[in-house]
Amino acid sequence: MPQPVQPVTAGTPATSELAIEVLGITKRFPGVVANADVNIAVRRGTVHAIVGENGAGKSTLMKMLYGMQRPDEGEIRIDGKPVSFSSPSDAIAAGVGMVHQHFMLADNFTVLENIVLGSEPTARGALDFGAARRRITELSRTYGLGLNPDVLVEHLGVGDRQRVEIAKVLYRGARLLILDEPTAVLVPHEVEELFQNLRELKNEGLTILFISHKLDEVISVADDITVIRRGRTVGTANPHSTTPRQLAELMVGSELPSPETRSDTVSDRTVLSVRGLTVTAEGGRTVLDDLSFDIHAGEIFGIAGVEGNGQSELVEALMGIRPIAAGTVTLNARDITATSTRNRRLAGIGYIPEDRQRQGLLLEAPLWENRVLGHSDSAPNIKGPLIDRAGARRDTERIVAEFDVRTPGIDVPALALSGGNQQKLIVGRELSGEPVLLIASQPTRGVDVGAQAAIWDHVRRARASGLAVLLISADLEELIGMSDSIRVILRGAFVAEADPATITAEDLGAAMTGAGTVSGAA
Amino acid sequence: MSGPGATGTVNRVGPLDRLRQRYPLRSVLLGLAAPVGAVLFALLASSVILSLGGHSPSHVFSTMLKQAERPTSFVDMVNQAMVYYLSAVAVSIGFRMNLFNIGVEGQYSLAAFGAAYVGGQLTGGGPFHVVIEVLVAMLVGAAWAGVAGLLKVTRGVSEVISTIMLNAIAVGLGSYLLHKLGQSSGNNIQTKPISASGQVAGLSYSGTQAKIFGFLFVAIAVGVAYWFITGRTRFGFRIKATGLNEQAAVASGVNVKRMTLVAMLMSGGVAGLVGLPELLGQTHTFSQTAQSGLGFAGIAIALLGRNSPVGMALAAVLWSFLGKSANQLDFIGVPREIAAIMQGVILLSVVIAYELVRRYRLVLQQKDVAAQLAAVPATAANQAVTA
Repeated sequence: MPQPVQPVTAGTPATSELAIEVLGITKRFPGVVANADVNIAVRRGTVHAIVGENGAGKSTLMKMLYGMQRPDEGEIRIDGKPVSFSSPSDAIAAGVGMVHQHFMLADNFTVLENIVLGSEPTARGALDFGAARRRITELSRTYGLGLNPDVLVEHLGVGDRQRVEIAKVLYRGARLLILDEPTAVLVPHEVEELFQNLRELKNEGLTILFISHKLDEVISVADDITVIRRGRTVGTANPHSTTPRQLAELMVGSELPSPETRSDTVSDRTVLSVRGLTVTAEGGRTVLDDLSFDIHAGEIFGIAGVEGNGQSELVEALMGIRPIAAGTVTLNARDITATSTRNRRLAGIGYIPEDRQRQGLLLEAPLWENRVLGHSDSAPNIKGPLIDRAGARRDTERIVAEFDVRTPGIDVPALALSGGNQQKLIVGRELSGEPVLLIASQPTRGVDVGAQAAIWDHVRRARASGLAVLLISADLEELIGMSDSIRVILRGAFVAEADPATITAEDLGAAMTGAGTVSGAA
Repeated sequence: MSGPGATGTVNRVGPLDRLRQRYPLRSVLLGLAAPVGAVLFALLASSVILSLGGHSPSHVFSTMLKQAERPTSFVDMVNQAMVYYLSAVAVSIGFRMNLFNIGVEGQYSLAAFGAAYVGGQLTGGGPFHVVIEVLVAMLVGAAWAGVAGLLKVTRGVSEVISTIMLNAIAVGLGSYLLHKLGQSSGNNIQTKPISASGQVAGLSYSGTQAKIFGFLFVAIAVGVAYWFITGRTRFGFRIKATGLNEQAAVASGVNVKRMTLVAMLMSGGVAGLVGLPELLGQTHTFSQTAQSGLGFAGIAIALLGRNSPVGMALAAVLWSFLGKSANQLDFIGVPREIAAIMQGVILLSVVIAYELVRRYRLVLQQKDVAAQLAAVPATAANQAVTA
């Protein structure tokens, strides 16, 4: 078998075939990772994947390609000609388009309006939607996007929204599309549709830069793969002769962790008991419909589901942040249905919120004050009605050491840390003070593989000592590997139950869309 | 609860090292850069304006400084600064929670009226006379601010809008009550004068008959309490957390609505004190000639002092110096409005300078973290290569 992974060297294809070429790009940046001597050659009419851990420098690289940042050294060539972008509009003018991970669409606009927004066609000073509609219909047909220009975006699903974003970029004449983690928000069958679209775009001669850290997807869709580690291009790989594992090891530079927690620690002592939990949104729409479940000491209870099917509402209802319409919540045989968030925390609920920066941190406050956040009523942070600064600082030092938070000290503001280290701090904080229940919402989203393994380890250890965990994750492997039991949530109700020992990610993904039955159902 | 290892390492560090570690020289200098830079810039800007008007900047500044040295104007300045300070503290309590209490103006004028009226009705009562006046003022101020707080919490009305409107209502209500409950003296209407037991004696200052208001001690106490509550207590932490990130505060168990109401009440309570130094120390009666505009000055001073108890004290002194020393400028033929220009320029440049310094500091801190961490991955990467 030939060596599947080659280091980046000269001798890449002739320049004329290259749609974009990155030569020795270096970016010194006041963040945690900079790009150093990055070299990428992207052949025209191919899907080129760039893989790397979070924080490896993919985003910085993309921002430079899209004109949002300028490289300090090196050169970017498009169609063989050196370019220098000072803003995204320069990039767009050069035929480079970016599809962001988070959609930037106006819900109350139609597909057509969203696509033309910012480059509205005019005829004699008036908006000319007729021309735009013809153009969009044509684009949609050529590339198989299947868009109806007159539908309101709020009625579209995630996959369709993404196609609108793609159409938006194509409408502006892009020949090179950068897709930043496009599959992060999609369920498996939507991923397949996206890949079909990408193949059609490719067949029409467009070039696609595909950024991801989901390696099996990369291998299935890409023609070439470039691996980035710690800001450097460490190699290229041929997807036909590389396994995900080899790629991952190249990405991480070491052996891979796995989320397995096979030893059984589930006890029969119920920690959290939820009965008939119902939550309605403003306007009376039911977002959580009569949910009942128990979580036992030592059990990790996983919830799988496409985002927006009631997971956030469930977490917020359990934390007492969102009012509930009906049902009861019992923690260690104590009814906490009407208890305040503060008292729920005091009763031993730890909470890792899904959006750590918005809900879990005071970004501009030092780490030790972030240690106090959410725990300003319990030891070691308090001294009567006062904050025990010394105690809080000491305990922050402990978390930094035990959870391997990479920081020069506990007086730096939280925003100076990388995402993974911020998350380790939060996990450390929420596992402090011997909680009885941990509500973990996307606990490893957007953190690198090393931090992910550390977080898994800590949760596993806490589980072994009797912690009950509610785990909500979009990472199905994490969910299957960590959980002792899994429920699938769809439109606010549990629609299936899965046995993590036997279910595959594909089956679970199908169940999440309501498409398939769960083969491993208990 | 904490790991034994952590305790050991912290204890080995001496107090001086800890101080140096917590407040590195660079961060202290950065902290000073903004206010000092802003004042210098304001001096420069006003020099340009003065020169354009054909006046000598150095002459103007020395006249202002000389004026400040005169005992009478010095006392006047201290008195004004303490009033400004109280107003600034009231405003900054709201600021900490991202609440913009523009209504200090209305809160203190109603509170001063209430204290003057109740104080005038009471006779005797010994030391309680003053205590009752202070309590009445704080309650009235808190109640008036509480209206805005309630509206915000229950109906989602922006406190900016409601406090501005409440200011207008307070003016009308105040003069209505004054006509209704006051007595006329000459062609002025005022409340019944407060008897001696309800007055606060002033402090003498050599070289002048004027007295420093005895309320100075109250202002200092308010400053210390403000520092203590916001910086050291659990309650203060919740306020800070809410101000920095409301969503995170909610997720960590802070009842934001209750905190909003409490912060408004506290802000109004302190605002109630603003009119008292003059009332209890000098005029002993409330009339329509009572000083106005203190609430708005408080907003400027709180901004200038960045909500810090010490910073606001310095800002209050500076503000008062500029305002009072300008009186003398008329005598040398320079329009005294130059002082108002300086106040404005200082405020604007401080706000800008702080933002610049804040961003610069964040970049520096991120660089530090990156530099510190670069050492670790570099070795790890090397190992990976050799492996």
